[in-house]
Amino acid sequence: MSRALLRSVLELRTPITRLPPSFLLPIRTAGARCLHQTSQIVDPVQQQLEAGIPLQPQAQKPSSSSPIAEAASNISSSSQPTTQPAKLHPSVRQLLPILAAQPGRYITIHIHGKPYLVTEGDSVRLPFKMPGVTPGDVLRLNRATNLGSRDYTLQGSPYVDERLFECRAVVIGTEAEPMRTLVKKKRRCRRKKTVHSKHRFTILRISELKVCDVNGLD
Amino acid sequence: MTIRAVKTAVSIGRNGVGGSFILQCQKMDFHYCDWFGSSKGMNGFIKSLLPKFAAAHPQIEITVSPRPNKHPVIIGHYINGKQKAICTRNMEPLQILKKVELLRDASGEKNRRITKPVQSINPSVRGVWSPYHGEGITV
Repeated sequence: MSRALLRSVLELRTPITRLPPSFLLPIRTAGARCLHQTSQIVDPVQQQLEAGIPLQPQAQKPSSSSPIAEAASNISSSSQPTTQPAKLHPSVRQLLPILAAQPGRYITIHIHGKPYLVTEGDSVRLPFKMPGVTPGDVLRLNRATNLGSRDYTLQGSPYVDERLFECRAVVIGTEAEPMRTLVKKKRRCRRKKTVHSKHRFTILRISELKVCDVNGLD
Repeated sequence: MTIRAVKTAVSIGRNGVGGSFILQCQKMDFHYCDWFGSSKGMNGFIKSLLPKFAAAHPQIEITVSPRPNKHPVIIGHYINGKQKAICTRNMEPLQILKKVELLRDASGEKNRRITKPVQSINPSVRGVWSPYHGEGITV
C-alpha cells in the first residue's frame, strides 16, 4: 500500500518538480540517436512556382521551447542499436533552408508505427492511453516520414533524419468514448450476452514544429 | 442584435501551444458521510491520500464537505463550465485515487466517438490542387 502510494505521489507530482529544468536536458542527442538513416530524397514540387511566390525571409518562427521539462520521447522504438548518422545529401543542404523559409509546414510523424499528418497547433487523439504520462508533459517526436512546406517536401527513406527537425507535443489529457455495447446472440437460442467496452485515449497537442539549421551538420 | 467582433479577428485558444499549458480541471469537490458504510473508503482517502494529491496539484481547488446520509461523490469542475460527478460508494482509497486521476485528466467535454485522429484549424499547407496551375500535364 505504502509503495503504491509513494509511486502514485511521485507520478502525480507536476513535471516541473519531477525533472530538471529544460536547459539542463539535452535538446538533441548530438547525433548519437540517428536511427537507421540512409539518405533523403528531396523532390521539389513545382519548381517553377518558386519564382512566382515570394519567399518570406524568416516566417512563422515558433516560440521558445516550453518551460515544462521534456519527458523522454522516443516512443516508437528506443531499443534500436545506435548507428552513425548518414551524411546529408547535397540537395537537402541546398533546399531545406528554402523549405524552412516558407510559411506553412507539415510533418508526418509516426507514433507506434502509425502516421499522423500534423501542423503546428493540431491535436492528435492517439488510439491508446499512453502509460506513464500526465497532462502537461512534453514529448519530443523524432520519427517522421515527411516534412514539407507549400512547394517542397523532404521525404525520408524511410524516416527523415531526426537532426533536421524538432517536433514537440504536449499531453493535454485523456479522453474516453461513449460506452460500446455489443449483444452476443446465437440463433434459436434465447441466451443473450451483453458486452461493454470503453476505450481511453491520450490527447496530444503539437506545440512546436521547427526545421533545424543544416549548417552545423555533416 | 449586439455588436460582435469580426469572426476572423477572434483568436481561438489552443491549450499547450506556445509553451503554456493549463490543466482543464479547476476544482474538485469531495463529499463524504460519517455514518454510511459506503463512505468508508472515501473517508480513508480523504485522510491518507488527498493531502498528497492536493499538494501535488496546486492548480486544482479542492473542497471537502459532508453530505449526510448519501453516498460519497467526487465532482470535478472544468474550465469550459461543465462538471463531472463520480459516485465512489464502496470503493477502496486506491480505486478512488484512480477516479480522481480520471477527473484530473479529463477535459470536461462530453465523451464522443471520433474517427479521425487529427483535428486542425490551420489552413491547408499545400492548398487545393488545381489543373490550371503548375507545369501542366501533356496528354
